[in-house]
Amino acid sequence: MEALEQLNYTGELSPLRDRMIAELEDVNTLCVTYRSRIYRYALLSLKDPDLAETVTQDCFLKAFKARNEFRGDCSIATWLTRIATNLIRDCTRSRKFQFWKTASSTALEAGDIADRLRSPGISPEASLVVREKLVKVWDAVDALPDKQRSVFVLRFVEEMELPEIAIAMGLHVGTIKSHLHRGLAAVRKAMEKKR
Amino acid sequence: MNSNHLSAWEQEEYVLDQRTPQMLRHLTECDECRAAVAQLEHGLGVYRKAAVEWSAESLATRPQQFITAKRQPILSLRWAVAAMIPIVLLLIALLPFRVSSPRPAQPAAQISDDALLDQVDEQLSVAVPSSMESLTHLVSTGSGAAAKGSKHLVQSN
Repeated sequence: MEALEQLNYTGELSPLRDRMIAELEDVNTLCVTYRSRIYRYALLSLKDPDLAETVTQDCFLKAFKARNEFRGDCSIATWLTRIATNLIRDCTRSRKFQFWKTASSTALEAGDIADRLRSPGISPEASLVVREKLVKVWDAVDALPDKQRSVFVLRFVEEMELPEIAIAMGLHVGTIKSHLHRGLAAVRKAMEKKR
Repeated sequence: MNSNHLSAWEQEEYVLDQRTPQMLRHLTECDECRAAVAQLEHGLGVYRKAAVEWSAESLATRPQQFITAKRQPILSLRWAVAAMIPIVLLLIALLPFRVSSPRPAQPAAQISDDALLDQVDEQLSVAVPSSMESLTHLVSTGSGAAAKGSKHLVQSN
């Protein structure tokens, strides 16, 4: 809430907000600019490309429909991330998603991702070390609770600032920091583990 | 080497960009803490790289579906509705003229033809051939007279 309080919206139509709303009107450009970002966030949260695509589409549709409700108190990227967060939350709460989550194996997926990782210009030994490290981090992030994982992804993949994450997640900055510390502790613990 | 190392929490704070001058000073002096922080940052960097590559690969296999693709039919429908409006207005404007306009006057020749046809119809319905004229008298005199008439006809035959 600290971040939300800092960004005190007065209700006046500022030129910046007008510009942002104009950007929201052009849905084509909006998709081109933010699609990969929203899709990545949804994919890393849901681990399902089809669901991630649906969430991305719904996110832009919702943003377009609610463009007049945008108050301009945060960036468009943060606002879109907030919409995506709500959609992802709805998705993960559904029974169908819970079933498929328990049925699927993530251990294989981490190895798969590591195999795909391109590491040009490094020796095979170094590449193996990187691969092992990635599997450990990937599994550790996967094992985080949903909210912690979302916060972790927004910080370390999307490289968002803590107040932005707070707005996107609807949480206090303090809570965000706490989630990040827990996530980092889990990652560090996993990396220290010997295979 | 500094024996007062950065705690795990401080190292995480450093990674989260919550850096204090003391932390920075310590890291310039302590190789061990510097290595620990670098290790953590490297792990996060590898994770980020893998996540971005995986997402980009996955996204590349999917055709881009813009919201405009859904809006196109609506837009074309709007154009169709817009095109229909003047036509409908024109029809509405013409309707009272069509309803209130008097029937066009029939030509004199058609009237005379009608009168002639009426006359012929009248003649046909009234006129009886001369050979059957006696029968009309019989029928018109009633049933008793008709019976007599029929008797008279049998006798004469």
